[in-house]
Amino acid sequence: MFQELVGIAPWTVIFTLCNLALTMFIFKRFLWKPVQEIVAKRKALAEAQLTEAAQAKEEALAIKSEYEENMAKAREEADQIVAKAQKTATSRSEEMLHEAQEQVAEMKQKAEQDIALERKKAVNEVKDEIGSIAMEIASKVVEREIDAQDHEALINEFIKNVGEAS
Amino acid sequence: MDITLTGPKILFEIPLGGGIPITETIAVSWLVLAVISGLCIWLGKNLTITNLSKRQVVAEWIVETIENFVRNNMGGDKFDGYIPLVFALFSTSLISNLISLTGLRSPTADLSTEAAWAAVVFVLITRQKIKTNGFGGYLKGYTQPIALLTPFNVLSEIATPISMACRHFGNILSGYVISTLIYAALAVASAALFRLLPGLLGDLLSQIPLLDFGVPAITSLYFDWFSSFMQAFIFCMLTTMYIGNAAEE
Repeated sequence: MFQELVGIAPWTVIFTLCNLALTMFIFKRFLWKPVQEIVAKRKALAEAQLTEAAQAKEEALAIKSEYEENMAKAREEADQIVAKAQKTATSRSEEMLHEAQEQVAEMKQKAEQDIALERKKAVNEVKDEIGSIAMEIASKVVEREIDAQDHEALINEFIKNVGEAS
Repeated sequence: MDITLTGPKILFEIPLGGGIPITETIAVSWLVLAVISGLCIWLGKNLTITNLSKRQVVAEWIVETIENFVRNNMGGDKFDGYIPLVFALFSTSLISNLISLTGLRSPTADLSTEAAWAAVVFVLITRQKIKTNGFGGYLKGYTQPIALLTPFNVLSEIATPISMACRHFGNILSGYVISTLIYAALAVASAALFRLLPGLLGDLLSQIPLLDFGVPAITSLYFDWFSSFMQAFIFCMLTTMYIGNAAEE
C-alpha cells in the first residue's frame, strides 16, 4: 500500500514535528550547550592568562626600575666614597709632609744647638788648656832665669802649644 | 517496461483510533533522527579546554558555523534561541536528502515533511511579527500600503510557507523521479545492448542491467549531493531571513 506521490498525510506531519522538536532538544542538550560552555571556559582562561601576563610584566618593569634606581644610588655612593677617600688621602699626605718638614726643622735646630754647645764646650776646654799651659809656663818661668833668648823661645813654644791644642 | 512512481509505502498501521499509518517517510526519518542524535552525542562528549581532539574541532566548527549563520542572517545574537531550530532543520534536511544514496526513500521526498517544517516557520514568522508590532500592528500590516491590497498581502503571507515547502519538496522529488527514470532507462538500454551478443551469453547478460552500475553515480552527483546541500541551505537561509525580517518592521 502506498500513499499519494504528492500529498499531505497528517500523521506524517505530526511525526515530523515531533522529530524536529526532538532533534532541537538533542542538539541543544548534547552538542550546543557543552560546546558553548567549553568555549566560554577557554575564553575565560585565555583572558585570565592575558591579565596575568600583563601583571607579571608590570611587576617586572617595577622591579627593573627599582633595580636601576638602586644601581644609580650605589654608583653615586661609590663615587662619593672614592672622592672622600681621595680627599682624605690628599689631606693626610699633606699633613704627613708637613709633620715631616716640622720634624726635620726641629732636628736641624736641635743639631745646630748641639753643634753650638759642642763648640762652646770645645772653646771652654781650649780655655782651660790655655790656662793650664799658662800655669805651667808661669811655673817654668819661675823655676829658671829668664833671659831674652829664653823668653822668646818660651813664647814661641807657648804659641806652638796653643796652636797644637786648638 | 512499466515505471510506477509511488508515494511513500505504508509499512504498517498502528490500530489506534482511525489507525496510524507508519510510512517509509516516518521510519526513515526516525533513522535520520537516530543518526543526528548519535552524531550530536558523540561530538559533544568529553570536551576539553586544551589539547583539542579532531572530533572536538569538528564539533566546535559545526556550532560556530551555525551560530555565525544565524547571527549574520538575522542580525546580532538576540536570535540565538533560533540556533537549535536552524541546526535541526539543516541537519535533518541534509541527512534526509543524502540518505537516498543508500537506496532508502528520502523523508524529504514526501511533501508532508516539508509542510510540517514550513508550518513551523510560518508560525514563528507570525509570532515574531506580532511580537514586534503588537497584534494590532500585525493586522494593520495587511492593509499596507493601501487597504485595497489586503487580499494580495494575505495571499503573499500564505504563499511564503507554501513556496518554501514546495521548493524543497519539488527539488528532491524531481531528483527521485529522474533517478528512477534513469535507472529504468538504463536497464532497458543495457538489455537491448547485450541482446546483440550472440547465443547464451547475450541471453544471460541482457537479464542484468549492467549499465545501472556506475552511470547513475554521475547524475547522482548533482541530484543527490549538490541538490541536497543546496536545498537544506536554502530552506535554512529563508527561515532565518523571513524571521529576521519579521523582527525588523
